[in-house]
This record gives sequence, C-alpha cells and structure tokens, in this order.
Amino acid sequence: MKLTSLLMLSVAVFIFIFATGAAAEEFVGLVKSVEGQASVLRGGETKDVVASMEIKMGDVLKTGGDGSVGLIFSDDTIISMGPRTELAVEEYLFEPIEGKLAFIAKILRGTVSYLSGQIAKLSPESVQLVTPAATIGVRGTHVLIKVD
Amino acid sequence: MANSHLRRCLALAFCVCVITACSQKNVVVLVPDPDGSVGSITVANAAGSVEIDAANESTAIRDAETAPSAPVEMGQKDIDNLFGPALAIQPQPPLHFILYFEKNSTRLKPSSLAVLPDILAAVQTRRSDHISVVGHSDTLGDKSYNLALSKRRAVAVKKRLVKKGVDEAFIETTSHGEENPLVKTADNVGNPQNRRVEVVVR
Repeated sequence: MKLTSLLMLSVAVFIFIFATGAAAEEFVGLVKSVEGQASVLRGGETKDVVASMEIKMGDVLKTGGDGSVGLIFSDDTIISMGPRTELAVEEYLFEPIEGKLAFIAKILRGTVSYLSGQIAKLSPESVQLVTPAATIGVRGTHVLIKVD
Repeated sequence: MANSHLRRCLALAFCVCVITACSQKNVVVLVPDPDGSVGSITVANAAGSVEIDAANESTAIRDAETAPSAPVEMGQKDIDNLFGPALAIQPQPPLHFILYFEKNSTRLKPSSLAVLPDILAAVQTRRSDHISVVGHSDTLGDKSYNLALSKRRAVAVKKRLVKKGVDEAFIETTSHGEENPLVKTADNVGNPQNRRVEVVVR
C-alpha cells in the first residue's frame, strides 16, 4: 500500500516536472536589441534585460531614462520600447494548428512601437494593446503609442 | 515669507496636475508598415471609439471616461520627437524561407539548394542567434511516419547550416509532420509544396 502511494507520488512529480518543463520550452519571443538600462520582472524577480534573452508570458519590461528595447515574438510581432517605458506581456498564445491565438500587451507608461505579426493576420480580434485610457484593436499594422 | 509659501503651494499644485490629470493622456498614431501599406486600428474605451485607417493619423485619449479625440494627422517631426528612440531600436522583421524536398526524402530540390546562401546571408546581416527550422510533409502515408520524416528534414537543414558555420546552439528544430500543410489536401495525397522545411531567421 505504502509502496504504491509512493510510486503514484513519484509518477505525479515526474508528470508535473515534465509538463512544466515542456511548457517552459515554448518559444514566445526574444530581446533582439537593447540599449541603456532595462529590466524585466518575472515571477516576482527583477532581472536586467540583455540581448538574446527570451521573453515569457507574464513578463513586465521596464526601461530607464536612457533605455530602449526591441522585441521579436515567435509569430513575427515586433514591439520596441523607448525610455521610461513599462510594458506587460499579459497574454501570448501562438498555436496556429490548434487555432489558439492571443496577444495582449499592456502599456503602462512611455512610448511603444507595435508592428503586427501572424496572430493579427490570422485573427485580428485576438490582438489587444491596452493603455490606461483605451484599448487598441489592430488589423495588420504598425502603431505608435504614448502613455504619459 | 508668505509669498514663498504661496509659490511652493502653486508648484505642488502644478506637480499634482502633472501626475494626475495629465498623467493619463494617451496618444495613438497609425503609421505605415515597413512595406509602405497602411492597416487600420480601432481605439476604444467606455466613452466611445475611433477608427483610424490613414497614415500618420493620431488620436488622443485624456482618460478612460473620455472618448478618444477625432483623428488628426501628426507631422513627421512630432512622430520623430515622440517616438524616435522606440523607432530607432525597432528590430527588422524576421525573414522566412521555404525549402522543398524530393518525395519521401530528406534530399533538397535543386532550386531550394540555391536558397541556402540567402539564409546564411540573413543569419549574418541580422546577427541572428534565434533560427527556427520547422519540418513538414505531405499527407501521403502514415501520420507517425510523416512526423518522423518531417523531423529528419528539419535536422538535414540544420546540419547544412551548421556545416556552413552557423552555431548549432542558435538553431531550434521542430517538426509538424503532415499537420500544417501549405496546401490543404485530403489524406494520403502527395503534394510537392507540402514537402518542405520553413526557416525563420530572427
């Protein structure tokens, strides 16, 4: 009895590790370019943003007074941030075969350039750029946003 | 004394205005895509919405309770002033390449062999360290066989790139088997356009 429950527990732990490990490997996006000071808040921890680092869903990126960052997502969406800018990657889902598509970015302050990718092409209604005062819906396009 | 107190009060009031009332002002500008085409956007909140579909048209939104302003054109100078640093760091869009294969084989078609130098050039100019190589097959034959075949195709392309000097760690291979055809067909149909590997250079 004890042995079977132990076995079940270890199977559960194995499945958990495998499942989360697989989820963590899904490529969402990367930092293609960075200048000056920039940081990312992920899972309660703040790290410096460096070129080539990967972006995850839930990341909150912040640039300093001299900072700017360029991001490329797996669906070809491009987002770049000017100085004193804060942006949260609220939702990202790019599984075209299953039809699972979502892109929600929150621009909390600063200046952002958004260049749409395949998610916007396949499902424009799945893209939302959210600012404190309004929400922007896009149909395959290049948008500049400033939040004071 | 009283004067300086008044001044301090005014300064404080000014700061509060800047932080609160003016702090919520948002500006949204539609600009042309890199290829020159212009898309369209909808800017909306609880108070109303505005559609923009012309280049460099902009709207201002004071706060979430005030409708976005009617679109006005923003001059190039203002665009550069406001968004210069964000535009300067904007990465180039990723490049996509499609390589085609012989039937039931990991052998590239001659016309696709000729594309390899373009891929290598893109990796160089973009200094890319995130390259996706995704293998596909047509629907001829067994699903699991096709998954394996598409994987072998992706690995074959990766090997060729590595042989030409691309760092192995920069390349991520995945395989979609027959699940993601370029041209939709019934099951068990051979199709040369679906026998392919897609390469994305970021």
